[in-house]
Amino acid sequence: MTVDDPRYGVEVRRRMATPSGVGELPPAADVAVGRAGDREQGAAVVLWCRVADGRVSEACFRAFGCPHLVAAASWLTERLAGATREDLLAWDWREAAEALQVPPAKFGRLLTLQDAARAAAGNWPGGGSSTV
Amino acid sequence: MSDVIYLDNAATTPVDPRVVEVMLECLGPSGDYANPSAVGHPPGRRARARVEQARDEVAALVGADPSQVIFTSGATEADNLAILGAARFYRERGGHVVTWRTEHPAVLDACRQLEREGFEVTYLKPGPDGIVEPAQVEAALRKDTLLVSLMHVNNEIGVVQDVGAVGRLCRERGVLFHVDAAQGAGKLPLDVNRDCIDLLALTAHKVHGPKGIGALCVRREPRLGLVPMLHGGGQERGLRSGTLPTHQIVGMGAAYRIAMSEMLPDGERIGGLRERLWGGLARLPGVLLNGHPTRRVPGILSVTFDGVEGESLLFEVPGLAVTSGSACAATSGEPSYVLRALGRSDRLAQSSLRLSLGRFSSATEVDAAIEAITMAVTRLRAIAPEAGE
Repeated sequence: MTVDDPRYGVEVRRRMATPSGVGELPPAADVAVGRAGDREQGAAVVLWCRVADGRVSEACFRAFGCPHLVAAASWLTERLAGATREDLLAWDWREAAEALQVPPAKFGRLLTLQDAARAAAGNWPGGGSSTV
Repeated sequence: MSDVIYLDNAATTPVDPRVVEVMLECLGPSGDYANPSAVGHPPGRRARARVEQARDEVAALVGADPSQVIFTSGATEADNLAILGAARFYRERGGHVVTWRTEHPAVLDACRQLEREGFEVTYLKPGPDGIVEPAQVEAALRKDTLLVSLMHVNNEIGVVQDVGAVGRLCRERGVLFHVDAAQGAGKLPLDVNRDCIDLLALTAHKVHGPKGIGALCVRREPRLGLVPMLHGGGQERGLRSGTLPTHQIVGMGAAYRIAMSEMLPDGERIGGLRERLWGGLARLPGVLLNGHPTRRVPGILSVTFDGVEGESLLFEVPGLAVTSGSACAATSGEPSYVLRALGRSDRLAQSSLRLSLGRFSSATEVDAAIEAITMAVTRLRAIAPEAGE
């Protein structure tokens, strides 16, 4: 009999089993890329957002890190469809922490995801990087 | 019945059913349950005889005289009694202790306690393969060096130290030599006389004996003094007070007797399984073996999977009972201090697994583990950004 590991909530387990949003977009004028973190520090995220009419039309990610970070990145890419640059700048890691029942010890990892979202906003097609 | 493949035998082993059988003989109302110190009545004398038989069996495994064996609660207590007990007894002789950064916390924390008491401790670093060279010890010895403490087999990476060479050097220089043999005893030959070991810490549960019982072998000729840590009934020649747990001691004796008689075939079979495991995992790109490639105990394999985060790797293999490179600091999440001491970066240390095999491991389990880990590593690498992204 296996016992579920209490460190991981249901949503983290589900997303690790079938993580949606994994992938990358080729470089293009309508693609914003946000990179954050460092493998040496145990957490690295890259977010790709295709932008059409000022809003995200498609988003995907790659992540190196703990299950909570990978699940949070997957969760975020699902919510980015229709987001504006301002939405990305305003996105707060606490939303993912609450939705995925992330333990406090892992909050720092989610900051890496927030940094990636803001970096993507900084690379928004058409400019705006100086505001980040 | 567990559906998990147990590959964490370096942490602890299941008790051999033959050991369970003799332990049970000392527990029930019709068994040898009496206090072994109560030699004034037959049940007490029967229990005492059981304890002394086990003492013989433990001593035989390490070439010691039975009178050298002091039963303790495990290797941690034995290490503490050896290091603290000897240093406190002989503190007039010198205040310097030599050990290594890759030792078990039972040794390192005892040494830190000595530092708080005014002793000076030198923490040496082994080579990148985890091996300690005797010349390194020679260079570290000082006029006031009292004690050298070196583990026989490293619990994380499984490398085997030449304790005999270090022991002979210490004996020539008049320095006490303590060996933590928790991982090596019963798996590799060890002899306190041949290897010039003054203090040898042992445990039962790493060789299919029960948890909660260990022993310290103390040199008798010339007699070595120790300051005891526990005070009470004066059992174990006053060095370790407390009622002797007959069933645990008998279990340790049986486990050591079996280990001694089956060391060769067990070692060959388990070593073969370890090579099969390593051969399967090494087919993956970006895989590194931690520790010396040949000077290894049969059952322990430590592997780094570059480009894979350790916690996620463990998460991805729920059917395997293994530990990550951060396992020894699981609560802090810090990378393994052993792998860091060998020069692995924090990232690589965190991307490591320790897989350890035992008497009941099988080729089928090894093959299933190879498949599960290969799938997990491949999957996580597919999710991760390219290095440098």
